[in-house]
Amino acid sequence: MEVLKEEEEGKEAAKQEAAAEAVAEPAAEPLEEGEMMQPQEVGRRGTIMTQEMLRDLEKKLLGIEITVPEKPSIITKDTIDISKLPCSYQSNTPEEEHLLEVADNFSRQYSHLCPDRVPLFLYPLNECEVPKFVSTTIRPTLMPYPELYNWDGCAQFVSDFLSMEPLPDPLKPPSHLYSSTTVLAYQKGNCFDFSTLLCSLLIGSGYDAYCVNGYGSQDLCLMDLTREPCPLTVKPKEALWEKEEAPPKKYAVRPPRDLTSRFEQEQERKRQEKIKAEEERRQREEEERLQEVDSTGTDPLHGLRVHSWVLVLSGKREVPESFFIDPFTARSYSPQDEHFLGIESLWNHKNYWINMQDCWNCCKDLIFDLGDPVKWEYLLLGTDKPRLSLVDEEDDTLSEDYDIENLGKEDEDKCFDMPHSWVEQLEISPEVFETRCPNGKKVIQYKKAKLEKWAPYLNSNGLVCCLSTYKDPECTKILEVKEWYQNREDMLELRHINKDTGLIVDYFKPGHPQALRVHSYTSMQPEMDRVMEFYKTVRVDGLIRREETPKTMTEYYERRPDFLSYRHVNFGPRVKKITMNSTESNPRTVLKITERFFRNPAKPADEDVAERVFLIMEERIQLRYHCRENHITASKREFLRRTEVDSKGNKIIMTPDMCSSFEVEPSEHTKKLLYQYETMMQLKKEEKLCRHQAWESELEVLEILKLREEEEEAHTLTISIYDTKRNEKSKEYREARERVMHEEHLQQVEAQLDYLAPFLAQLPPGEKLTRWQAVHVKEECLSDFKQRLIDKANLIQARFEKETQELQKKQQWYQENQVTLTAEDEDLYLSYCSQAMFRIRILEQRLNRHKEMAPLKYMALEEKLCKDPRLAELLKSFV
Amino acid sequence: MNRLYNSLEPRVMDDDMLKLAVGEQGPQEEAGLLARQEGILFKDVLSLQLDFQNILRIDNLWQFENLRKLQLDNNVIERIEGLEKLTHLVWLDLSFNNIEAIEGLDTLVNLEDLSLFNNRISKIDSLDALVKLQVLSLGNNHIGNMMNKGLAELKHQFSIDELKHRENLIQARLEDEQARREELEEHKAAFVEHLNGPFLFDSMYAEDVEGNKLACLHGAGELLEAYKDKFVVICVNIFEYGLKQQEKRKVELDTFNECVQEAIQENQGQGKRRIAEFEEKHLLSLSAIRDESELSNLEKKIVECSKDISELFNTLMTLEMQLVEQLEETINMFERNIIDLVGLFIENVQSLMAQCRDLENHHHEKLLEIAISALEKMVKGELEEDLPDEVRALFVDKDTVVNAVGSSHDIHLLKIDNREDELVTRVNSWCTHLVDKIHKDEIMRNRRRVKEINQYIDHMQNELDNLECSDIID
Repeated sequence: MEVLKEEEEGKEAAKQEAAAEAVAEPAAEPLEEGEMMQPQEVGRRGTIMTQEMLRDLEKKLLGIEITVPEKPSIITKDTIDISKLPCSYQSNTPEEEHLLEVADNFSRQYSHLCPDRVPLFLYPLNECEVPKFVSTTIRPTLMPYPELYNWDGCAQFVSDFLSMEPLPDPLKPPSHLYSSTTVLAYQKGNCFDFSTLLCSLLIGSGYDAYCVNGYGSQDLCLMDLTREPCPLTVKPKEALWEKEEAPPKKYAVRPPRDLTSRFEQEQERKRQEKIKAEEERRQREEEERLQEVDSTGTDPLHGLRVHSWVLVLSGKREVPESFFIDPFTARSYSPQDEHFLGIESLWNHKNYWINMQDCWNCCKDLIFDLGDPVKWEYLLLGTDKPRLSLVDEEDDTLSEDYDIENLGKEDEDKCFDMPHSWVEQLEISPEVFETRCPNGKKVIQYKKAKLEKWAPYLNSNGLVCCLSTYKDPECTKILEVKEWYQNREDMLELRHINKDTGLIVDYFKPGHPQALRVHSYTSMQPEMDRVMEFYKTVRVDGLIRREETPKTMTEYYERRPDFLSYRHVNFGPRVKKITMNSTESNPRTVLKITERFFRNPAKPADEDVAERVFLIMEERIQLRYHCRENHITASKREFLRRTEVDSKGNKIIMTPDMCSSFEVEPSEHTKKLLYQYETMMQLKKEEKLCRHQAWESELEVLEILKLREEEEEAHTLTISIYDTKRNEKSKEYREARERVMHEEHLQQVEAQLDYLAPFLAQLPPGEKLTRWQAVHVKEECLSDFKQRLIDKANLIQARFEKETQELQKKQQWYQENQVTLTAEDEDLYLSYCSQAMFRIRILEQRLNRHKEMAPLKYMALEEKLCKDPRLAELLKSFV
Repeated sequence: MNRLYNSLEPRVMDDDMLKLAVGEQGPQEEAGLLARQEGILFKDVLSLQLDFQNILRIDNLWQFENLRKLQLDNNVIERIEGLEKLTHLVWLDLSFNNIEAIEGLDTLVNLEDLSLFNNRISKIDSLDALVKLQVLSLGNNHIGNMMNKGLAELKHQFSIDELKHRENLIQARLEDEQARREELEEHKAAFVEHLNGPFLFDSMYAEDVEGNKLACLHGAGELLEAYKDKFVVICVNIFEYGLKQQEKRKVELDTFNECVQEAIQENQGQGKRRIAEFEEKHLLSLSAIRDESELSNLEKKIVECSKDISELFNTLMTLEMQLVEQLEETINMFERNIIDLVGLFIENVQSLMAQCRDLENHHHEKLLEIAISALEKMVKGELEEDLPDEVRALFVDKDTVVNAVGSSHDIHLLKIDNREDELVTRVNSWCTHLVDKIHKDEIMRNRRRVKEINQYIDHMQNELDNLECSDIID
């Protein structure tokens, strides 16, 4: 409609101009789409308008194509440049003609036999208005992209790559079915275009795939996913790993007698069940309520909307069960799905089948045995689909009728194969493949969720996918946001933002400079709640996880030579320093450090510390050792470190009450004060070390946070060295190399320059040179060269003279105006002088050199000519 | 260097010298003070330095059981001796001495670094026991033929090869023997050794003079052959049955051990958990007691705490009692089963042995018949074959012949009885031993656990009491 309107506008404008007797030469200036003529411009031209010209203009204006920018709806025939399409698009081969005849005959028989069914979708027009059989529109193609090898990749690509257009008439199949090359070029199409392209790709990669013409639900036909939960939000069902109960062994001990009351347990269980049932009921009611709200808008055209999708039959490519693929959404559905309301017909690149089964119960009862002629009426005989051998007894009476029909048809159709596809080879360039969606962006609205996709490198921060989940169906309150990134230099892969709690979780791929794996935080400020996880094989210290709260820091280690597994640090408040020294960091006081160790198999259990606690404020150190085998108690030791002074004022080094210990197996040497003293000294040292390590950990957190902030700020993207298009460095290198190659080539050409060519060309071709001719040629060539040398010298001299003259003029001017000149002008003059002198000197040098070189060059040419194979023979004898 | 000290009087390693050295090299400063207060035991010393002491003989070192590092360089030691007890030695320096031979190092299996630099050693020897040796310093000795190793090898190539070959043969034989011995061990464990062939049969005839003589009789040879075949078949039957039964017993025992271990582990886990829970609580209450100032509250808390301790004691003991009951039941069941198994085994073996006896009786009868017929023939003078004289001597009269055959029969029966008895007694004794051991182990385990629990509880109680005392004093 709009197209027409615009055209009319254009016409009106032309008529107005005609009335004003101001007309443009239509051919002189090509009109832009939808552009209106400017009256004043027309006036300026001022040519006299004739009746003929007006008509011509009108005709031209009519021919101007107009596309409406807001709604680039269906690819109209006008937008496609059919002249460039190959001839297979514009005409039919004899086989195709034959096929069309067969199809026409088939269609007539069909409408005669089944008058109540809608006409078949057999040979729609293509972009050149040529009827083409649907099967020949499928062009099986295997794309050179590994992503397009499996059905899910293909379907995802098709749904991403094309933008969807509704059918012109939702109740009828379209009148046109364009080739997949056109659809790919314009990146849009209706469901039939989608499924044809997808089917081509699937058959190309070996699937047993079919295009289906049928009926779908409204949501399906309009690609409305707002009622569907987003597949990314649906949590994968947890696989139930039921542990296989080992049969009780022969000598398994009997469990101790259960002395709890059975009755009480029963009562408790009943109570629990009641609560559960109550909850379930409430939930169900809630769901029902929601469903009611959902189903308020029922579709009046339910069951009539035409849709096209793809059927993949089991058998090939290890497909265990037949399924449908909706090409709009790339989702797979089981044939029992409620969205698919019926099938009219289906086809692949070899044949066409009509569904003879009743679709009263959607597609749930359909049997996809295409070899069964009772259920599926075929168009061509002799395709490779295996025919059903056994026919059900009950259907005998029914099938007979069809069989008779088939007999008649079989005779004429025999030995007729589907002609080759008329569609050109499908090609998708790597750039387009990478950009995927039209303009590289796509937004899908799901139930309570919105999914946005971008092509890689489109966003400067590497964002490729963003999923926002909402609390309410109206999508106003964001619940959480998940952002996927690609090609980030900081290896950020996924960011999960929970808007409720404000918790942000960053997931990194291996390769972050700090070996980060997961970082969850609420704010980037230090000393707040945060958890960092690391790739354990990367870190030298074996750290795998660090948890922080405002008052504590917990670290988990693995595979350390000292068997440390856990360190927990409790911090106290920061001590306020009197001197505000800003350069020095002011660490918080450490109240308590707890460390746990794995069992060190090299040490006996009594000497292998399992846990040590430094209570720094109380100056207390607690040790707990590992448990011996076959023991339930572990040795413990507690050191209380008080430096006291005895009655005589001597410092007490060590007293027995400073160390209290419990030993599972008391031994003599551990009782000794010396041993205890040494152990304590050792522990003191280690305490210092621990505090230092805690401090270092704090520093590291600060460092990581700083690094993260910087990375977030810069968000640089990495470019693979194999990515020749984006990699600037390699591009430069390549270009430089090409340049060098080009130069080399030029040099080579020069080297092969034939001096004699222009002189030889004057002689009659194909004849051998006579001696006289040879001499003449040589003379000519030499004299020519001499002339050139002289010319060059003259040229240099002329320039030299010109330069000197100018300088003299300037000097004269300067001398005349010297008094009135400003400092600036004087400077200018001086610089000009120096430059001119420089130029003059150079010219002089060049001239001198030319004079020197010219005789040498002349000699060299003469020598060269003497040695020239074409002349050498003749000249030699001449000498 | 050592030449310098040659002029001095050689010294003896006596107690004083060692004490002095230990004292000097022991802990210093504050720790040294402590050490002097308590005194250092020689067995706690880890490293000892005795260089430039002009020692002639190594002596008195047997107390240093845990010594890791010993320096005896720059002395005048002539023999390596007296180091046998120092099995933990890792580092031994004997450089700059007058040692002439490497010896006396066989017990020092942990040695990693051995220095024999500048001695008078002429031969590298007896280092085989030092499997962990990493550094061996042997410079400046009188080892002459090290350099000419290549030459010597060329010269004695042939004899070396021969020696090697012989060694290989011996090695192979030893391995063979080892394998055979192992197999026999296995059979013995199944109580059916030497039953997988004609061993028993051969032993029956080994001491049987008359039997061997009678075998030369006409027909007796074939009879003997047939008898042997049948006998061996039965023996092999017994053997195979024995192995099968042994397998069964082993499986039974393994299952039992596994189950018992599982039960014990389970119980231990529970115990550990209880203790961990208790300790967490106990620590809190202890610090609460320490902080408490009011006497009445203090007492209340102490009472509470001790109540907790006794509760823990009860729980642990209950757990232990429960385990004891469970294990007792299981052990009894196992005992019953294993005795049944053994009984079945014995019964079957006995029935097979009875078959052997039947065979023997049958053979005896046949042999008797042959012997008597031979006698008759001889009496009639119709004996065609010529018999050795000693056999002929048997055929004097009927009694002699019958006696000879009878005695042979008796010997055979005795052998069979002996074998059977041996098998039965050994199986039974194995069974009783096994059961006894299981019972004893269980009792030991129980005692150890009870002791452990008591010790722990006592410690806890003591700690609490000490706290009380100190608080009251405060």
